[in-house]
Amino acid sequence: MPLLSLSGIHPTDWVEFADDQPVDEGAYAAVSAARLAEDGDTLFAAAGQVAAIIDGDADGDVLAPYIDRLAAIWINFKAFNDGRGFSLALRFKRDMGFKGEVRAIGKVIPDQAQFLARSGFDSVEVAEERVAAFETALSRYTSFYQCTINGDMSVAHRRHMRADKGAA
Amino acid sequence: MYKYDEYDHEIVGARVAEFRDQVNRRLKGELTEEEFRPLRLMNGLYLQLHAYMLRVAIPYGTLSSDQLRRLARIARVYDKGYGHFTTRQNIQYNWPKLVETPDILQELADVEMHAIQTSGNCIRNVTTDQFAGATAEEIDDPRIYGEIIRQWSSLHPEFSFLPRKFKIAITGAEKDRAAVKWHDIGLVMKRGPEGEPGFEVLVGGGMGRTPVIAKTIRDFLPEPYLLSYLEAILRVYNEQGNRDNKYKARIKILVDAIGADEFARQTEAEWEKMKDQPIDVPAEEIARIRSYFAPPALPVLDAQDDAVDALAAKNVMFKAWLKNNTHPHKVPGHVAVTISLKPAGGIPGDASDSQMELIADLADQYSQGDVRVSHEQNLILPHVAWRDLADLWTALDGAGLGFANAGLVSDIIACPGLDYCSLANARSIPLAQELSNRFADLTRLEDVGPLKIKISGCINSCGHHHAGHIGILGVDRRGVENYQILLGGSGEEDATKAELLGPGFGADEIADKIEQVIAVYLDIREEDEHFLAAYRRVGPAPFKEALYAAA
Ligand code: SF4
Repeated sequence: MPLLSLSGIHPTDWVEFADDQPVDEGAYAAVSAARLAEDGDTLFAAAGQVAAIIDGDADGDVLAPYIDRLAAIWINFKAFNDGRGFSLALRFKRDMGFKGEVRAIGKVIPDQAQFLARSGFDSVEVAEERVAAFETALSRYTSFYQCTINGDMSVAHRRHMRADKGAA
Repeated sequence: MYKYDEYDHEIVGARVAEFRDQVNRRLKGELTEEEFRPLRLMNGLYLQLHAYMLRVAIPYGTLSSDQLRRLARIARVYDKGYGHFTTRQNIQYNWPKLVETPDILQELADVEMHAIQTSGNCIRNVTTDQFAGATAEEIDDPRIYGEIIRQWSSLHPEFSFLPRKFKIAITGAEKDRAAVKWHDIGLVMKRGPEGEPGFEVLVGGGMGRTPVIAKTIRDFLPEPYLLSYLEAILRVYNEQGNRDNKYKARIKILVDAIGADEFARQTEAEWEKMKDQPIDVPAEEIARIRSYFAPPALPVLDAQDDAVDALAAKNVMFKAWLKNNTHPHKVPGHVAVTISLKPAGGIPGDASDSQMELIADLADQYSQGDVRVSHEQNLILPHVAWRDLADLWTALDGAGLGFANAGLVSDIIACPGLDYCSLANARSIPLAQELSNRFADLTRLEDVGPLKIKISGCINSCGHHHAGHIGILGVDRRGVENYQILLGGSGEEDATKAELLGPGFGADEIADKIEQVIAVYLDIREEDEHFLAAYRRVGPAPFKEALYAAA
C-alpha cells in the first residue's frame, strides 16, 4: 500500500515479520510489540533496524525499554473512530521523547489526515484509491486552534506574535 | 460579543469546504455510510426518524440579532419555517436536505456561526448561564472562558474520536443556571486567595441511564492553566473510557469505577507533564477575548416607570410577566427578560421564522442587539431598561411571545421524543402540550409557583428528567408508550437526582397523574414553600399514596 509522509520525513521501507517468522540478518524488520517484549534483545541483535507494531488501544509503556533503540513505531488503528491511537502517538513522541518515525496503519480515513499529522504521526499507510483524498485532506486547514507537536502554532499564539511585531 | 478574526473565518470556511467535499464523496459512494456517519455527526447532522436533522451551535447560548435573523432565514428557506431551541443552548432544524446542508453551513459561516461538534463523540458546545454578563450574581462573565474553550476544543487532533460525547458547562455565579453538576466537566468560577481568577473543577456528571452528579476534583484551578487541565482530564478519559459499551462510555462511569480521588490523581499527574507546554493561551489572548465581552455601557436608570405601572395595573398577564420573566441586572433600572417559548399548547423551544425576526428586531431596539438561549429552551433579552418593558411586552404579546410562565409549571423542558427521534420510546411533545394546556390559567399557574417539569422520551435523558422537580420518563412497555414519574430532582447548585415514584402510567392517564402530584403538593405545602422544598421535607410517601393507593 502507498505510504504518505505527514511530517516531511521520507518514510522508511520495512519488511514485516510475523511472530513465528525468523527475522533476516540485518533486515529493516517490523515486528509486533508483543514479540519485542518477549524477545527484544535477540531482535535488536539480528535486525539492522527495528520497527514495533502496536495496536492503538495498547499500553504504550510496553515499548518504554526499547524507545531509544527503535527506529519506528507503527500504530495500528483497529477502528478509525477509536481515538486512543492519537493519544498513544503523543505518549511516544512527547512523554517518552521518541525521535523515530511514527506511522499510522489500519483503518484510518482521509478526513483524519491532519489530526494524525498534528498528533505526531510522521507517515500513514493508505489504500491506493484513497491517496488523492488523503492528500487533499492534508492541506485542508492552514490555521489551527491548538499548538501541536508537529510545530503548528495555535492562532491564539499567532495573533499575539503578530501584535508584538506590530508594536516593535 | 465575540467577533471572528481572519483566522476564525478561515477555519470555519475550511470546515464548510471540507463538509461539502465529504457530502460529495458520500453521494458518489467514495465514503461508506459507516465512515460518513461520524463525519456528518461532527457537523451536527443526524439521521432521524423521518429526515436529517441539523443541529447548529450557539456557543454558550449567545447570539447577535443578525445571527438570529440568519437562523430565521435558514428556517424559512431550508426548513418548514421554524427552528427548535435545545437544552444545550443550540438550535435544531428538523427537515434539511442532505445536499443542501453545505449551503446552510455556508450561510452560518457568513454570520460567524457553525455546526462544528454539535454531535458525535467529541467535545460539544460549551454551555453557560443565560444571564451571563447581565446578572449581578456573577463574579465574572463565563463566556470569556466559553469562547476560549470553544476555540481550543474545535477540531482538536487528539480528542475528536472520544469514547463518547463530552459536555462542558461553566458558571460565573454561585447560583447555577447552567446545570454544571450534570456535565462531564463542570466549571465554577472562583477567586483565589489573592483575588486571582480561577475555577472549581468538577467531573463525571451526567444523565442517561446512570444519572450521576459531578464530583469536585480540584477546588481551585488558576485561570492561566484552564486548557492544560482540561487537556489532562480528556487525555485520561480518551485512554481509559470504555469503548465497548456505549452505555458505559461516558466519563461518569470511569470516574465512578476508579473513584474521583484516583481520577483526580491521574489528572494531576498528566497535568504536571503538560502544564508548561503551549496548550494554554497567552494572557494577551485572554485579554483580547475579554474585550469582546465588555459590559455594554448602560446608564443607571429608575427602576420605576409610569407606563409600566399603568399597563401592569390593567393587564394581569403583563403584571405576572414582570414578576416571572424578568431577572435583576447589574445595572440599576435594567433587567434580563425571558421570552417564553412555552405558550399553552405549544412545542417547547420552537420558534417560527417570523418570531425569530421579531425578537431580533426587539433585541436591536431594546437589548443592545444581544439575545441568549437558555438551557430551559427560552430566549433571553439580557439588557433591557425597565422603562421599555411595557412596549417590549406589547410587541412580544402580539406575536404570541408574551406568556408569563418563566420558571413555572408550564415552562416545561421536553426532548423531541417519538415525534422526531429514532431512539425514542414515547412521545414527549404532545404530553408537554397537554400539560401546558391544563396549566394555561394564569391564576392557577401562579398559585402553583416555581416548578420544573422535564420530559424525556427515553432513558438518554435529553429532556433532563433526572433533574426535574417533576421528571417524566417515556419507556416502552410491551410496545406501548408508558411514562414514569420521578420527583425531587434539581439541576442547580443544590443538584439532586430525581427519585422514581413507582410504576409508570399510560399515555391517557399521565397528565391526570401529574395533576394529582401537584394537588398533593398544594395540599401539603407550608405557606409559600416551593414544590422542591416541600418534596424534600415530606419525601415521596404522600405522593405515592395519592397516585397508587387508590388503584
Ligand atoms: S431523550 Fe431519547 S427520545 Fe428524547 S431526544 Fe434524547 S434520545 Fe431522543
